[in-house]
Amino acid sequence: MNKPVSSITILGAILKKDLQSYARNKIYLFLTLLGLGFFVLIFWLIPDTVEETITIGITPSFETMIEETATELKAEGMAEKELDFLKEDILEEEISGEEEGIEIIAIEDEKHLKSIVEGSMELYRLEDGQLEIYDTTAKNAEKPSKLKEAEQVDLDIGLAFPHNYLTAMITGGKSATTIYTDAAVPPEVQEAMQGFVREMSFQIAGHGYPVEFPDDELIILGEDRAGAQVSLQEQMRPLLALMVLLLETFAMASLISSEVLQRTITALRVTPMKIGHFLTAKTIFGTALAFSQGVLVLALIGSFTADNWHFLLLVMFLGAVLFTSVAMIIGAAGKDFMGQLMYALLFTVPLMIPAFAVLLPGTAASWVQFIPSYPFVDLLVGITIYETGWAESWGPLIYSFSWVAVLYVIGLLILKRKAESL
Amino acid sequence: MNTPSINVQELSYWYGKLKAVNNISFQVMPGEILGFLGPNGAGKSTTIKVLTGQLKPGSGKAQVLGREVGKEDPELQAQIGVCFEEKNLYLEMSALENLNFFASLFGIKKPDSMEALRRVGLAERAKDRVNDYSKGMRQRLMISRAFINKPRVLFLDEPTSGLDPVTAAEIRRVIQEESKRGAAILLTTHNMMEADQLSHRVAFINEGEIVALDTAENLKLKYGQRAVRIRLRNGTKITEELITLDNDNASTRIAELAASPNLLTIHTEEATLDSIFIKLTGRGLEG
Repeated sequence: MNKPVSSITILGAILKKDLQSYARNKIYLFLTLLGLGFFVLIFWLIPDTVEETITIGITPSFETMIEETATELKAEGMAEKELDFLKEDILEEEISGEEEGIEIIAIEDEKHLKSIVEGSMELYRLEDGQLEIYDTTAKNAEKPSKLKEAEQVDLDIGLAFPHNYLTAMITGGKSATTIYTDAAVPPEVQEAMQGFVREMSFQIAGHGYPVEFPDDELIILGEDRAGAQVSLQEQMRPLLALMVLLLETFAMASLISSEVLQRTITALRVTPMKIGHFLTAKTIFGTALAFSQGVLVLALIGSFTADNWHFLLLVMFLGAVLFTSVAMIIGAAGKDFMGQLMYALLFTVPLMIPAFAVLLPGTAASWVQFIPSYPFVDLLVGITIYETGWAESWGPLIYSFSWVAVLYVIGLLILKRKAESL
Repeated sequence: MNTPSINVQELSYWYGKLKAVNNISFQVMPGEILGFLGPNGAGKSTTIKVLTGQLKPGSGKAQVLGREVGKEDPELQAQIGVCFEEKNLYLEMSALENLNFFASLFGIKKPDSMEALRRVGLAERAKDRVNDYSKGMRQRLMISRAFINKPRVLFLDEPTSGLDPVTAAEIRRVIQEESKRGAAILLTTHNMMEADQLSHRVAFINEGEIVALDTAENLKLKYGQRAVRIRLRNGTKITEELITLDNDNASTRIAELAASPNLLTIHTEEATLDSIFIKLTGRGLEG
């Protein structure tokens, strides 16, 4: 007998062949280019800032309301001294002071306010701070050049107070206030606006609150991200990394499936190649493919920092092995192209769920934590969004490693059994 | 040269409860071509799968080049070549790349793949993707792949099945060249004529059992009828006479008719492998 062929030689040969097959398959190439180009482009097109200030339009302005109320009360015989007290120490302090995160813009005409909220008129803030309204529905109305460079103010909520509002509040009467909201404003915010008006009215009427808050008012547990909210662009980082790995799962599953369907595994098995060589080669190729592309996309969307690169590489490696394992299961299971597609959807759609839970906070049910991709996504979110380090991540890291180990063993066993049964 | 390259003793294999191979025994010597003749489902391919290590023997002994089969044995695998009935080639790769890849699995650093392709008439299309090949071209590539490591034992499963006569003849020529090189060849086929042309010995396999094993000549002699058919012109008619050679007066009668001016043709009447197979099993080879 001749000298046995080394494992390195056999592995090298299979890997070279896999690379050739991969490079020549138009579907694989399409998936790769999609992952690299399209996702990166999408990332940079998504807004990277979060608008934290809610702008509320009111009508009439506080100044107008105060003046009108003072005139009215004076006519009813209120002393000048009392009126000054109302104007300076109560009314102005209670209602004109804008709170953090809330900007109040006064629009004198209620119709204009309604149209701006509705979208048929646009509101602009000029360089000198003056506001100007532009009617988009007016015939032959060309937008003035000064507005083209001005900042457009989004007004999603408008409060229309009646002219007797303050008088009614002070004298213990009742008043109806109209709230205009854009259709896109969530119901919760609409209700919050009602609460805002009630609170303001309560204070103007001179009532105290039956509850007190500590000086800090709100105690933030964990990191206070006020002023540093996570933008949609940042939220996309883990999602895009996961998408790239999923696309590579399709490609890898297809590569394995073609070996099964064309029965080339049978031809390999009568050579000095052992089945272990085949499984090792598929593991290396799948992992390298998913890892390199995932890392490249993360690099192109600026996810690596001097502090996180080693941790992020490790997590991406775990993710690459996880999805290669899934590819082995899918590739071995499908009996034809449609079968493979069905299995691919069956396995990959649930794996996407944890990533969407990141985009839509509050939607994740507790069972999502049992999805194999959950700890991987959890780690990615921590590293790429919240800058978590090793110390805070041992739990998810061990959980992720456990899932990777379980799925990898299952993937190997299924593919081995398939190869031996052909 | 007395050591058999393939040595099978009382080999059986079951698929569940179905006994696909039933207690078969045979040997193939170096340079010998053993034709495995039998209809579909007779157990030919299963025997090859066992001998090439794809299946573990159910019972009995199966050796190739003196080594037990049934487990992964890279050293033994390096010495064998297999041509499968199904054309399991890498379609997206060229013929040259297919051969180079398999050569590298055998540890051949500088394979002469072009020469191997030239041998089967594919040199001019060496760099074309196999996906663009015809069925006959793919089969020639399968043969070429089986020979790439210059194997000492070859397993050829229906190597000319469904091919045109010219391509089939080319492949038979290459198989004979390999036999002359010294390779022991186990050839499965249900083409009686091919087995007759190529094989040094023939084994009839039916329902997992070997029902006859000998040279084609011996089988014909053993199971066929020795006779001569003579055609004569008789006026405006043509008459035939069948003379059985085992008859005592046969030689006298043949001489008599041969001397006749009315003699048209004399043909020996040999049994075909197909007719012998039907005689032994009660079924045809194409079944």
